[in-house]
Amino acid sequence: MSKKKNKTTFGTLSLAMFWLVVLSGVALAIPFDVKDPYLSISNMMVVNPWASFIRNYHYWSSQFFLIFSLIHLYEHYHYKGKIGLKKGLSFRLSLAVLIIFLAMITGFLLKGDADSQQARQILQTLTERLPLIGQSLAFSLLGAPESYQLIYVHHIATFTVFIAIAMVEHGRKFWPPALDFVASSAGLLIFSYFLSAPLHDNLNPAVKGPWYFVGFQEILHWLKHPEWSLFMFLAVLILVYLANSAKGKTMFLSKRSLLIFVGLYSVLTIVGLFFRGQNWKWTTPWSQEYKSEVLHNFRTPAVNFSPEFELNEALASPVIQGRKESCLACHTGTHGFTDSHRAEAVGCISCHSGNPFATAKEQSHRNMILIPGNLANAQQSCGTTQCHPQITERVPTGLMATLSGMISVNRFVFNEQDTPDERAHVTQLGNSAADEHLQNLCVRCHLGNPKTEPGPVNEFSRGGGCLTCHLNYSPEAEKELAENKGEIMRAHPEVSLKVTNNHCFGCHSRSGRISTNYEGWHETTLTKKEMPDSAHYRLIEGERVFVKKQEDVHHKLGLECIDCHHSYELMGDGNHYAHQENQQDVQCSDCHIDGEPRTIAAEDLDNESAIIAALRFGNIAGKKLLLTEKHKRALINTYVENDSVYFITKNSGKKMTMRAPAAVCSRNEAHSSLSCSSCHTSWAPTCIGCHNAYDANERGYNMIENREQKGTWVEYIGQYEAKPPTLGIRKSKDKTEVVPVIPGMIMTIDMKSYTGNENDPEIFHRLYAPTSPHTTSAKGRSCVSCHNNPVALGYGEGELNYVIANGKGTWEFSSQYAADPHDGLPADAWIDFLKTRTEKVATRSDLFPFDEQQQQRILTVGACLTCHDENSEVMQQSLNHFEELLKTRTQQCILPEWK
Amino acid sequence: MNDRRTFLKIALAGIVAFFVFIWNKLTLYHLKTTKQQRTTVPFTKNKEVFFADQYIIVTKNNATTVFSAHCTHLGCKIDKTEGDRLVCPCHGSEYDLQGNVIKGPAYKNLEVLPSQLSDDGQNIIIGA
Repeated sequence: MSKKKNKTTFGTLSLAMFWLVVLSGVALAIPFDVKDPYLSISNMMVVNPWASFIRNYHYWSSQFFLIFSLIHLYEHYHYKGKIGLKKGLSFRLSLAVLIIFLAMITGFLLKGDADSQQARQILQTLTERLPLIGQSLAFSLLGAPESYQLIYVHHIATFTVFIAIAMVEHGRKFWPPALDFVASSAGLLIFSYFLSAPLHDNLNPAVKGPWYFVGFQEILHWLKHPEWSLFMFLAVLILVYLANSAKGKTMFLSKRSLLIFVGLYSVLTIVGLFFRGQNWKWTTPWSQEYKSEVLHNFRTPAVNFSPEFELNEALASPVIQGRKESCLACHTGTHGFTDSHRAEAVGCISCHSGNPFATAKEQSHRNMILIPGNLANAQQSCGTTQCHPQITERVPTGLMATLSGMISVNRFVFNEQDTPDERAHVTQLGNSAADEHLQNLCVRCHLGNPKTEPGPVNEFSRGGGCLTCHLNYSPEAEKELAENKGEIMRAHPEVSLKVTNNHCFGCHSRSGRISTNYEGWHETTLTKKEMPDSAHYRLIEGERVFVKKQEDVHHKLGLECIDCHHSYELMGDGNHYAHQENQQDVQCSDCHIDGEPRTIAAEDLDNESAIIAALRFGNIAGKKLLLTEKHKRALINTYVENDSVYFITKNSGKKMTMRAPAAVCSRNEAHSSLSCSSCHTSWAPTCIGCHNAYDANERGYNMIENREQKGTWVEYIGQYEAKPPTLGIRKSKDKTEVVPVIPGMIMTIDMKSYTGNENDPEIFHRLYAPTSPHTTSAKGRSCVSCHNNPVALGYGEGELNYVIANGKGTWEFSSQYAADPHDGLPADAWIDFLKTRTEKVATRSDLFPFDEQQQQRILTVGACLTCHDENSEVMQQSLNHFEELLKTRTQQCILPEWK
Repeated sequence: MNDRRTFLKIALAGIVAFFVFIWNKLTLYHLKTTKQQRTTVPFTKNKEVFFADQYIIVTKNNATTVFSAHCTHLGCKIDKTEGDRLVCPCHGSEYDLQGNVIKGPAYKNLEVLPSQLSDDGQNIIIGA
């Protein structure tokens, strides 16, 4: 024994570590505040690097104390055939193993962060489930839920004293050899300087116990009755006891069992540490969330003794949700936020991530999200638990994120699927001709397309997740950004409810062009050079030339997009719809009410609507708000009072009284199956005769990967026109409705240019599409504009004449456009004159042109209108009793005859 | 000698048992006397699921139920939903909005706590 006295073993190193733990612990007690542990530790990390250093020292000395003690135990078992301790000592030593773990876990709990709080709950529940004394033991160990007093007492006294006694008793030493002490303390200096002890930022949803218990956490994850895991502890302690004091086979088996246990436990620890993410879900290093869910736990910046900010700035910076963040020590005076997003309220890391406890720029900004709100990071920024998790969960299912309709119709048109109504998602595009076509020409506009540069939303903007709609730069912020040369910016853009038409414009001025339609601009095929110098023309995106047309009546009144479209339409309601009109909720009749309004009391609003309403309009208590018919959502900017319906514009606060529909609209006779927009659409943009071919040599672009590529689909556009739309029939389960339609896809696709196979045919389609043109006029279409109009009926432009000869009336049509060689119909037609067209007719499977009978009925009225003015008494009467009136007609009234 | 040793052993065990008894009693009394019988939490009818620290208040179809926020598996505090499910951050147990377990390791439903609305409807009083 005497020879061994000064030999370095893991035992003596443990002893050295123990004293270093005690010493650093005493020093750490000075800045540590047991009343608010989390705040005091975050404070140390931000404003007191010396305290932070000593905390690291305490942390690392304790970790090494645990590790060395366990290795010490192993060494004894390995090198000594028999330990042969007396029963009493053996018992106390076995117990000491448990006590060491308790000392460690109480230290972990004293961080008071999210990890600690959940670990505390687990420890409490497990202890409480012990029979007889569970309740008392749990309380005696942990104390009252909000208090750390008892945990602190046990950590610094109860357990420490016990460990000290056990150590001295079995090692018969108070002091470690001087060399061990010096070497240990010097080694720890290096560790403590370079690797900070962990502290959870209380935002990241992934929570884990300390490294030595994640294996246990893994076991708990499997157990329905976690209290059974306590038997495991008991078994290990008994094995340690037997290994220490038993003889022969029992001792050998105990040692072997312990070894196997440690091996298995190590595997579980690795699984828990590296393969478990949020909600203890299995994750792998190549998953997208690995960095934020797993590696997050290992960020340990070095101690920075000369922070890159003034101490006074750090001291003056606010406490944010119970912690000190270092961000605002440098980024002082940052302003421009809405109240709810003020840095004093949510801090910086809630949105921008990074390390709030680091004190140097590089460390603080590591893993930072420069532009939060992109869908790829929205879960970690806008969608963190305390903020908008429900919204970021449903936005990716909404149409603006999936582009389902666009993708599905395109695949249908390329004959890659049988119906245009499959549900699709832009993140699941493949390499087919249709998908390549989409990636080259169409899918830049989706919410998942990331915003990569700071700056305000403009007509060139595409995508950007939450920022697409919610980002607003003040003139000051815009100026500061433009003039910035690398210095810290103070004017922060605002993320707010102020969603203006400009936010929608970038994407919605394309394809259906509802943004430009709404403002009364129609795209022409003119080039920039050909654009006349006139206020009637407007250049968009620097090259597209638009001409002035009639604006939407709602635009004239000052309504913006969001005045009609509510949050569940725009951000999705969690359902994955096939087409935009399925997700779209608001209908004209929701506001222009005929009869009793559907209302909801403000007190019964869903949370999201209630918050938005409160933010926009203040106290809405007691108000009755309108409810949509289709999805039963509240229209928060409306209310019903004294039989009147009021409407308030969301951004400008203009109050208006809603008008009920005209009597002609609400009769339940003729025209009852017409949608409002079939009459009240003043014009719609149309495009015919477009051709698509793949050019392998042309420079193109992949809109999903956002990179240039060689080879692209090219679209050769046809003719653009603005005119009152054609009408078609939409049949759903509940109703059959006449709706406006436009020639969505009268087009050819050169398939062989893509496949290279000469046998591939040229695809031709003559499909019309439903449209919601957003060119509403207060006055509806005239009777003749439908009944006597070949475009409205689907024949295309041309002469539609009612010819009476020899007492017989016949309708005749001669088209303006030549017959298309593919199907013999005029280039712009939907249907052949007075014929029923079937098969592939529209970009929806529930949309149809008028059939022969329907055309005949419409044209019968059209025949009357060739003589009678539409405002004449007889025509007005005909609206109610057409069939009866026909019976009383004179001989001069000649009705059409049909072949 | 043996008698003396036996006596001392028994006496020692007795003293330990006595202290354990006293400790158990005093702790239980302490718990009993300091336990808050009722808690009042501000109530908002608009919010379908409201996480109020120790409680989850679910308002659906005009009925309000208060659940203990502690997962029945190991007591971790549940603080978020994923879709219509309450998800425990520790081991991934899931419950529906009626508090029923959908996914383990938990197997018991969330504890429903007695509660009532205050007269003005602004607060919810939790506890018997």
